[in-house]
Amino acid sequence: MLKKLLKYDLEKIYKVLIVFYSLSIFFSILTRIFLSIENSFILNIIGKVCSGVTISMIFNILINNVMGLWSRFRNNFYADESYLTHTLPIDKKTLYLSKTLSSIITLSSSILVIAMSLFIAYYSKENLELVKNLLLPLATVYDSTIIVIILSFIFICFLEIMNMLESGYVGLVLGHRKNSNKIAFSVLYGFITYLLTQIFTILVVFVTALFNKDLMNLFYTMDTLNIDTIKLCIYLAMIIYTLNIFILYFTNLKLFSKGVNVD
Amino acid sequence: MELLECINLEKRYGDKVVLKDINLKIPRGKIIGLLGKNGTGKTTLIKLINDLLTPTKGKVLVNGMEVGVESKKIISYLPERTYLDKSMTVEKVIKYFEDFYDNFDSNKARKLLKKLDLDTNQKLSKMSKGMQEKVQLVLVMSRCADLYILDEPLGGVDPATRDYILDTILTNFNENASVIISTHLISDIEKILDEVIFIDKGKIILTSSTDELREKEKSSIDEIFRRMFKC
Repeated sequence: MLKKLLKYDLEKIYKVLIVFYSLSIFFSILTRIFLSIENSFILNIIGKVCSGVTISMIFNILINNVMGLWSRFRNNFYADESYLTHTLPIDKKTLYLSKTLSSIITLSSSILVIAMSLFIAYYSKENLELVKNLLLPLATVYDSTIIVIILSFIFICFLEIMNMLESGYVGLVLGHRKNSNKIAFSVLYGFITYLLTQIFTILVVFVTALFNKDLMNLFYTMDTLNIDTIKLCIYLAMIIYTLNIFILYFTNLKLFSKGVNVD
Repeated sequence: MELLECINLEKRYGDKVVLKDINLKIPRGKIIGLLGKNGTGKTTLIKLINDLLTPTKGKVLVNGMEVGVESKKIISYLPERTYLDKSMTVEKVIKYFEDFYDNFDSNKARKLLKKLDLDTNQKLSKMSKGMQEKVQLVLVMSRCADLYILDEPLGGVDPATRDYILDTILTNFNENASVIISTHLISDIEKILDEVIFIDKGKIILTSSTDELREKEKSSIDEIFRRMFKC
């Protein structure tokens, strides 16, 4: 049943996302073409416009992905379509898991398309050198490659967005337990949940900093962090965000499994 | 074992009591009318049976089991609103029902839709509300369920369509199954009802066989209803 649910969920979300994916790739190709033509003022201007559109498409992909997932969650579980969803012979755990898995899948593909668009539009030897020079010290400390460092950053961004998505889902479930103003309460609870996860993150970093002087500088000074501290921050971010996502997932699942009250 | 049983069922929204002390037993092989004025708790009761609401107190048993995956396999429910994804074509919705309900007969659905001259390749969003309601009824009645729950199936449709709907209901369920029809359009359905449940202000005020009630009161169910619920 999970496979079937996922099929319909993904189909619905990708129906919109695919448009933005195509536009993003299309404009990144145009950016590449126009910016590679030298000695033409007009073509260069067009290239810069295309570059701007590519960047806006990249933001559109992220915004549409997140909003689309929240909207699908609400429509399926609390709006008219919920009359079908909740009467399907499927347990609540599977229904909820399908939403989380479709979030992971679509978010991963969006990040992939964004990376592809950026690569198509801006890849050049000079830009590559710039990134290399920026990340080389970090890669040396990690005893790793620049690619792994880039992937780690992307992974942290992915976890952060997942954290935001799950906070939104918690908000929707809590908001719809109210008898009135459900949407307003959903937004409010979602925001509060997200805020709590951020406070929790800072709290864990602070507790860790009690045992690490360099990390404590993050709270008391404006000094640039040394490379070892950045390394620790990256590890911490990965662990805390993963923990946040799991806590939100299981808390929300428990609330959702208690039953719904559909209007 | 009763097909459906509600035990001390209660639903509150804050301080407002919508349903109170509902005790109900629905046997197999009956067509039951759930009758009451607007806003008396009919839809709330139906939503509780279908897991769309969580009871404040009491429980609902279907085939002796609490509402859940197993009960949803044997209940075919028609809500009072259009609830399908309107971006889907009728064919796609048929596929959806086929995917999720083991007891859904897609050939029967296609046959019934053909009778209605409905194009299965048409999107639901391109259909009128009445057409969408017919598609929903066909889908619900194309399941080989034990219990059909139809919430206001006649609401907002013309008399000719009402006859079609009643005919579809009558000819598409087996003798071991039961049908609960919630409506306030009693004169249209009373000829097909075996039993009636009158509900008012969140309480069941009368449960009876239609023949016995007609005999006792010497009038039609519609007249009895009008008398009981006179404003």
